[in-house]
Amino acid sequence: MNAITIDHLRKTYGAFVALDDLTLSIPQGSVFGLLGPNGAGKTTTFKCMLGLVRPDGGTTRFSDQTFSPAVLDRIAYVPERSVLYEGMSVAEHIEMQRRAYSKFDADRARELVKGFGIPDLRRKTGKLSKGMRTAVAVALAFSRSAEVLVLDEPTSGLDPVNQRTVLNLIVNEAASGNTVVFSSHQVGHVERAAERIAIMKDGRLALEGMVDDLKADRKIVEGIMPDDSATVAALNGNPHVRRVERNGRILRAFVSGDAAAIAEAMSAGGAAGVRVVDLDLEDIFFDAVAPASSTADLVEA
Amino acid sequence: MPIVLSVDARSGVPIYLQLIEQIKRSVALGVLRPAERLPTVKQLALDLTINPNTVARCYRDLERDGVIETSPGRGSFVRGDGAEASVKAAAGDVAQSALESAIREAMSLGLSRAETTSLIHGILDRWYPEKS
Repeated sequence: MNAITIDHLRKTYGAFVALDDLTLSIPQGSVFGLLGPNGAGKTTTFKCMLGLVRPDGGTTRFSDQTFSPAVLDRIAYVPERSVLYEGMSVAEHIEMQRRAYSKFDADRARELVKGFGIPDLRRKTGKLSKGMRTAVAVALAFSRSAEVLVLDEPTSGLDPVNQRTVLNLIVNEAASGNTVVFSSHQVGHVERAAERIAIMKDGRLALEGMVDDLKADRKIVEGIMPDDSATVAALNGNPHVRRVERNGRILRAFVSGDAAAIAEAMSAGGAAGVRVVDLDLEDIFFDAVAPASSTADLVEA
Repeated sequence: MPIVLSVDARSGVPIYLQLIEQIKRSVALGVLRPAERLPTVKQLALDLTINPNTVARCYRDLERDGVIETSPGRGSFVRGDGAEASVKAAAGDVAQSALESAIREAMSLGLSRAETTSLIHGILDRWYPEKS
């Protein structure tokens, strides 16, 4: 069953298309990572999902319900920018949330805040660093006993120890059967904690899948050709070859599945030193968001 | 648990495959013994800070391969029967694919069959010396 079903979401700001026909399903009990360059539409996606921004078209369903204030009680949201009241202390925020949400666990909130290294709950949140404000917002969200957590950049500004704490909180929620959707510019965090990802580019879905499946599927097959102009005819029109890059005598085929067969075809086609290169999620990310020639252009420019 | 599992999340090798490989290796080497209990899915996910469904997928594959068995409420255990045999069979697969890529490399570097064969014999003699 899907915890969240996003169906054909579209949002424009004037002439700018922030979301262009976005359709996504997020299974219950999963950790879903949303990746994309700045301006790709990640935050707009979250805001449309949660009814904070009205989409031009499309719907979001939580389990089998459309969005409503009642649904909101089951969802905890940490926005990209802190929404804490700067003049209020950490303890006052905890008390406010306790009154607002029936399932809020104030003891857990105090424990989590202290775990993040904020010993004095009387501190006004305006006096905390940006990272510590993020930590407070995360601690409040993880004390809501929510079924769905939506976290926009939850590790932003945190030190490595607290980043790891947030990732473990996410892992713990998933192990308890709850659903977590989070965005991050730290691809390595998504690679660890998420089992499924979507990569957005220009308001559209560029790539979606299970992290492990994408890694198993996507490879680069690299070989050295006898001269700068020699090609391997077998690569043309092969459905597993997504594109071929050439750098002097080095030929690199970006393939989906069947890497061994393509390596054989390259060897048979005259390539020397043929090897299959594994891709990490960052490689897959760059491949998904950058057009084929752009990296080389940037380097030359 | 005496084995120390670790994952390299930045590796291109899927995390669940890294875990399967390490657990199979531990069984093959006798570090994990028959009937020994594995950590729960949640515990291992938290220890390694990885997705719990990834751990669950690893355990499912190990169960399918006859290496571990899971009983509801009790946990996952190394199988007393056949775990080592199935691990040995899997080790053959791993070794074959490593040999294949080495031989493909030799071929693509322009070595003849005879030259490659003589290399392999040299390496075999070093690692599996004949008892005289």
